[in-house]
Amino acid sequence: MNENEDYAMVREQAQRFLNDAMDPEYLRALLEAPGSFDGRTWASVIEFGWPAIAVAEEHDGLGLGWRGLCVLAEESGRKTASLPLVPSAVAAQLIFAHADRAVHQEDGAALVSGARYACLALARTDDAGLADPPELHLRGALLHGTSALTPFAASADYALVAAQDGETFSLLLVALAQPAVSRTPSCAIDNSRAAAELSFDGARVRVLATGNEARTAFWRAASLAALATAFEQIGGAQTCLEMARDYALERKAFGQPIGRFQAIKGKLADMYIRIELARGCALDALAALEQGDPSWLGLAASARVAATDAYEVSARENIQTHGAIGVTWEALPHHHYRRSRALGIELGAAIMWRERLLAESGFASAA
Amino acid sequence: MQQQHIPDLKAYREQAVAWLAEHAPRFAGAAREGRSGEEDLQLARDWQALKAKHGYAGITLPREYGGAGRTELEKIVFSEEEMRYDLPLLYFSVSLSNPVPIMLRHAPEDYRRRLGPPAIRGEHIWCQLFSEPAAGTDLAALRLRAERRGDGWVLNGQKVWTSWAQVADWGVVIARTDPTVPKHAGLTYFFLDMKTPGITVRPIRRLVNEPDLNEVFFDDVFIPDVQRLGGVGQGFKVAVETLMIERYAVTDESGYGPTLEAFVELARHSRINGRPALEDGEVRTAIAQAFVERQGLRSIHRRAVTAMAAGKEPGPEGAIRKLLLGRTRQRLGALALDLRGANGARFNPDASQVTDFARSWMDPSLRIAGGTDEVLINTLAERILGLPQDYRPDKGLPFNQS
Repeated sequence: MNENEDYAMVREQAQRFLNDAMDPEYLRALLEAPGSFDGRTWASVIEFGWPAIAVAEEHDGLGLGWRGLCVLAEESGRKTASLPLVPSAVAAQLIFAHADRAVHQEDGAALVSGARYACLALARTDDAGLADPPELHLRGALLHGTSALTPFAASADYALVAAQDGETFSLLLVALAQPAVSRTPSCAIDNSRAAAELSFDGARVRVLATGNEARTAFWRAASLAALATAFEQIGGAQTCLEMARDYALERKAFGQPIGRFQAIKGKLADMYIRIELARGCALDALAALEQGDPSWLGLAASARVAATDAYEVSARENIQTHGAIGVTWEALPHHHYRRSRALGIELGAAIMWRERLLAESGFASAA
Repeated sequence: MQQQHIPDLKAYREQAVAWLAEHAPRFAGAAREGRSGEEDLQLARDWQALKAKHGYAGITLPREYGGAGRTELEKIVFSEEEMRYDLPLLYFSVSLSNPVPIMLRHAPEDYRRRLGPPAIRGEHIWCQLFSEPAAGTDLAALRLRAERRGDGWVLNGQKVWTSWAQVADWGVVIARTDPTVPKHAGLTYFFLDMKTPGITVRPIRRLVNEPDLNEVFFDDVFIPDVQRLGGVGQGFKVAVETLMIERYAVTDESGYGPTLEAFVELARHSRINGRPALEDGEVRTAIAQAFVERQGLRSIHRRAVTAMAAGKEPGPEGAIRKLLLGRTRQRLGALALDLRGANGARFNPDASQVTDFARSWMDPSLRIAGGTDEVLINTLAERILGLPQDYRPDKGLPFNQS
């Protein structure tokens, strides 16, 4: 990765901090209870200014852009840290792009400081894709309906949601600390995602955008999240590959390290190939985004497809390389196995992003 | 990497694009249709000569031997642009990538001055006599014997899979000069005139109509010692240097088969049980997967070029390219033929592999030549991931006892 010193410093700081903070025993404890939010780590990263990384300096951010967020996402992914960095950054982006000054100063500033954080409730309960069209409804400016399981919703302060206002697509920011909102945490594949269902019974909302503007903003938000999450997935996949490699060097069978067997070599080489393809797609998407090249949307979709694949395969085959030890509670591979599935589902399945990729690159329609 | 001046690549690319637009069409695509093999070779020689005249041949080779004396980056840029045309480049792809450059490094000065310019102008073709029936991937297992006689060496044995030996004027060859030492230590490297008495070249018929491969037999072939490249017993080292000379080769992103766009176009006009093929999930996944691969490889290529432009080594991830291109070309080829239905079985042996899916599918050699998929996977796992080398029972044993 071609980085200037700022990004290298961010990466180094993140590695140093997460190496200590992501203690295996602590990570296991987070998995025990439904809806676990890692408030301890979140409190620390607020001190480092991580929630402000992508926000422009005019809004008191660090001004390191989406690339800065992607560095943090990749390092978080490596250690299976579960932090609402991406949802908060996406919500802040939307607020500064669409809301008025009062909202900047209140909700925007709270997200930038990390005092509050957001979740992205962009999924549908009955579809592998995202909420376009939405299934939540606005009636008389109040929000009704129940969301699909949403990461960080168990404790987040805000939710970004799409809702149907009659015929009109609306993109909304909802403050979750109000009586008309209830959260139902659910036991999940990865409990450290703090996932919950959100029910809205006439909740007050801030309308960020409506109509075509809202739909465009919705997909831009989803694509920004998918791109940063691709880096998180790549980080996780890279750790799986390293874990599998180390184990293949250490574990012996028939008088030799199992890494000498071609079946293991082939498996690890396959992981490497998928990771490098995903990294290539993600770096290209990020570069296109930074250059304002509209092809970034299609490239972000390709990054999502490739990174989901890379993490799935790497997490799965890391367990396989470990053999029986890989399926124990104490060993780390299952953290990645869980996280790879959670990240692969949360922003819409890869099958849906495949469709985005085809549509955005002009390959979609039959004659 | 040697410190070279960092050239203005943008200007160089613009010049190359303009020059190619002016000249390449007369040698490419439609201009090649209906030509016999000999006529295509002549066209290739003419193209090579024209490039040499304008400084686009042997781009990285020294000027005193007929090259253009430019940087590797400029060569990459020119190759990227040249590859956009369906030009007859294959006859020189081995010659100017490996044998000629290694000769220009190690041969005596008078040979370099005499043999460099005609090779770069396309008058001479050089072949690379490495593989043998019992030595492909394991090159050091080769058996071709070279024995001292007077002021030279006498060679007996056989080479195989030698590209363009039938039209080659010169060649580089590696032979066993000492069978009593371990296999890597007993080899010596030479260059030779392919018209030397005792050489017999026999064509190998491939499953597709490509006349590139040959067997080459050596029957008391004499090579003067002055044509030795490197020391006696140093042949394996020189062979490795030969293969590494082209540190970064630009290869076609469709593996020299039809493009992804061509596949999508075919799918757009195909039907499955009356429904448009492009609505089928498996077809859509295949397209998305090929897109992801191409995008990932484009990014890796660009990063490598950027690294080299900054005077750094490109990352190891470039090694995945050949592995992916060969398999994807084969997979998309098969799927394209599926979409044609029963007519997919039609085959035109003279069709171009660049445009015709059946012809492209029919040739799986990209997965074999220059390192099989399986060897590349092992190499990747060992060199990049640091896994231990396969068990080698002949390691350290004298060649004649293993």
